[in-house]
Amino acid sequence: MVGIDRRLLQNVDWALIAVAFGLVVMSAVTLASLHVGRAGGSVVLRQLIWFLIGLIALILLGSLDYRRLVRAAPAIYLLGLMGLAAVFVLGRTVSGARRWVVFGPLSIQPSEIFKVCFLLMVVWAITSRWAQPVGKITLALTLPILAVPIVLIIKQPDLGTAILLVPVLGILLIGAGMRLKLLGGLALASLAAMPLAWLALKEYQRERILVFLDPFRDPLGSAYNVIQAKIAIGSGQLLGKGVAGATQSRLAFLPERHTDFIFAVFAEMWGFVGCLVLLFCYVLLLLRGFDIAASAREPVGRLLALGATTLIAAQVLINVGMVTGLLPVVGIPLPMMSYGGSSMVASFMTLGLLLSVRMRQFQ
Amino acid sequence: MSRRSLPGRRDPGHSRVMVIATAVILGFVVLIGQLWYLQVLEGGRFLDASDKNRIRIRPIAAPRGILYDRNGTPLVDNRPAFTLSLIPRELPRDVESRDAVLGRVASLLNIPYQELLDAVARVQLDSFLPVRVRRGLTLTDVAKVEEWKLELPGVITEVEPQRVYPTSRFAAHLLGYVREANDEQLKQGRYRRGDMVGQSGLERLLDEYLRGQDGGERIEVDAMGRQVRRVQQMEPHAGAQVVTTIDRGFQEAAERAMDGHAGAVVVMDPRNGDVLAMVSTPAFEIDRFTGTIEREAWLRVVQDPNFPLLNRTIQSQYAPGSVFKIIVAAAGLQEGSITPLDRTFCNGEFRLGTFAFKDWKEGGHGLVDLHQSIVHSCNIFFYQAGLKIGAPAIVKYASAFGFSQPTGVDLPGEKLGFLPQPKAVRGRATKTWPAGETVNMSIGQGAVLVTPMQVARFMSAVANGGVLWRPRLVQRVERSERGVVWADRGQVSGHVELSPVVWAFLRQSMWAVVNDGGTGVGARIPGLDIAGKTGTAQMISKSRADKGQDHAWFAAFAPAKAPEVVVVVLVERGGKGGQVAAPIARKILNAIFYEKVAAVEVDG
Repeated sequence: MVGIDRRLLQNVDWALIAVAFGLVVMSAVTLASLHVGRAGGSVVLRQLIWFLIGLIALILLGSLDYRRLVRAAPAIYLLGLMGLAAVFVLGRTVSGARRWVVFGPLSIQPSEIFKVCFLLMVVWAITSRWAQPVGKITLALTLPILAVPIVLIIKQPDLGTAILLVPVLGILLIGAGMRLKLLGGLALASLAAMPLAWLALKEYQRERILVFLDPFRDPLGSAYNVIQAKIAIGSGQLLGKGVAGATQSRLAFLPERHTDFIFAVFAEMWGFVGCLVLLFCYVLLLLRGFDIAASAREPVGRLLALGATTLIAAQVLINVGMVTGLLPVVGIPLPMMSYGGSSMVASFMTLGLLLSVRMRQFQ
Repeated sequence: MSRRSLPGRRDPGHSRVMVIATAVILGFVVLIGQLWYLQVLEGGRFLDASDKNRIRIRPIAAPRGILYDRNGTPLVDNRPAFTLSLIPRELPRDVESRDAVLGRVASLLNIPYQELLDAVARVQLDSFLPVRVRRGLTLTDVAKVEEWKLELPGVITEVEPQRVYPTSRFAAHLLGYVREANDEQLKQGRYRRGDMVGQSGLERLLDEYLRGQDGGERIEVDAMGRQVRRVQQMEPHAGAQVVTTIDRGFQEAAERAMDGHAGAVVVMDPRNGDVLAMVSTPAFEIDRFTGTIEREAWLRVVQDPNFPLLNRTIQSQYAPGSVFKIIVAAAGLQEGSITPLDRTFCNGEFRLGTFAFKDWKEGGHGLVDLHQSIVHSCNIFFYQAGLKIGAPAIVKYASAFGFSQPTGVDLPGEKLGFLPQPKAVRGRATKTWPAGETVNMSIGQGAVLVTPMQVARFMSAVANGGVLWRPRLVQRVERSERGVVWADRGQVSGHVELSPVVWAFLRQSMWAVVNDGGTGVGARIPGLDIAGKTGTAQMISKSRADKGQDHAWFAAFAPAKAPEVVVVVLVERGGKGGQVAAPIARKILNAIFYEKVAAVEVDG
């Protein structure tokens, strides 16, 4: 079943892997320079252990035939849903949100892993024979796949991850050839439903959106993050302040600095030039992903690669967008940079799917 | 794989991937544009900001809502008070000089050094949020801190609103005290450390409404900790205003009237159940409980043998004594077991088997009927009447009047009182319910226990013809911008159906208790028709040394014809109800009716 032959190995996308490693190295350096708490060293160590686990996941998923995975998608998706539901039973609460499930020394965030399950399921649904031709039927089939986990994830509450599922589904439908008019109509309809969604949001989530619209609404609370992040990024100027000079980050003005706001730390230390390098890495990675999608010869592989690439792209764009003050603050980590095991493993699983498609594109 | 190929329409996938890739690249271009703006164009400004990023966050505590009495007079108010706080981030970084600063503060203000260390140990050292160390600083303390400011980095004084009460013990049990959230409350996650939370009484019940929304400001300070400018400010929103049913004048009069006695007073409006005054003595010094109370003062109150924290109006249970005779009379008349014409010769003693039950009056009252037995509180008549009526009927009417049931008053910790259940006992064996129990119960002794609030509700029902009102303490909660946010319109919790002649008889007898040479003459006020009943509840311990240690009751309503107020007075270990409790009730009624008259005239 794990069919690795010479031809497969020849088609491994080494560039993709190299870029991913580069990002992990940058993450480790940034975390190490932060001295988070008194356990500064162990944060880096843990991140690297998670990286190794991610690597194993990558090799495993890469060597599996993605078509088998997609065929098993309904089961995987159900498992993922159970993981989400498990949070309510076994979950640990961190700052008011139950997102983690604890297994001994490990705490896992099922919503992170679920993103991959969701991707597989949507690809399965869109390419299934019942969804043909791509149109309203496809929508009817895929929307419930989105709705169920969104409800579960928002309950946790983890708005960021929930929001992420929407562009993935949208892009996959576009990629599958859905008429844009139909999608546009759907988008308008959901826009009309926004007031309802507003009611469903938690107080702090509403506050964040309001703060985004008017950062000085609450300069002590939510907006503080954004203001401090902007100061950190901006004060990095062209070349950055280096590790020692990054006062914003090191003196703890910046909250969430080793997780969601790590980009601001990086930006303060390495400046505009450093940011260009970092973003260039991501662009490179994403272009490889799109290339894999474009050169895939059949729809399952193409959609899977497209979805995987979108997943990473959306996270990077939303995370950097929110840290630089372009988007409201939602809890989305920066793939392969932010500290966090589940996110790291999920990112590498996504890359694993990409590799699997690439390796089998000539079969 | 044929089922997974897309049949029909031409596959547009390839070109669409390209379009999507282009859109993503565009997204990155926008990000880079924003970074260019932040880092290159505005970079200098932000660098400046980060250099000067000595920004201090100063929470501005919202004033707690004010509790008003029924006439709009405040029961409790706020005044500005000084608080000493530490800003962990601005304390010296190395432990030695930090401890030196803390030591200096300790000796300047006479605060235990350990208390400061504890306060610092509780927080993250890189936090900018001030940690409150001590509330209620004197002006001299503030001056000392300001004088030594340069030697005390990270030590500041803040101004915060604090509760202020008309007198040191004013309505302490009713209002309740306000203190910093304790560890348990912090665990619930609703409060932040240092938040002031209502811990008892109405302050606790209405805490959600009373606490406002704290505001805050962000100020830039220089290296010396002096304010350079205020960056942003968010105004605090004061808490909601609470309009209670209390009449501050009545409350003060009742507290004055108790004058050092331990006990309880409830003043109630029998027409709607409004509690006009609620006094429990001894009271604790509510003003000292606000803010940071010293450990010793707290212990002194908690360990006081007189239990000043106990709200005796609802949390203490007493035998009702002869006040209970009204219920026995009601039960007997309504059930037809006794009539106003029944007579008994009272020689001061009643024999049942080998037991002798005494009257309170040596030698007895002579030949008495029911009316005279209420007026003079003759026990012998009621012993016999009780046996005729039977314990089940007495208990039935007592429960109908709300005894052994919660009154539903809006304060936590209400006791239920107790009524024995002779029926259940009888079901098994008649002999286990001794006749002596019934005899004791007929004069409100033995197993029966009541709270003063229950007596007030019962007395209101007698005054208004049988309606049991849930005692109401709070009329409404108002927010200045949103109007009434919560209201209590009062609630009837039961009816007692007695024939009109029975009501008339009870009221007539109770009128005579005060006005026709009865035991309640001590409550008499010329010109005011007061009806009432005295009670003397024997202590359970029967040692001779406890003589004169009985609880004194007086329950009254006035004016007798159209009752407007019910006054219930209980004095613990006071002695005879007529001698101790009735005069206190008289003072309160006098204040209610005659001082009110004066107030109205002044207004006119």
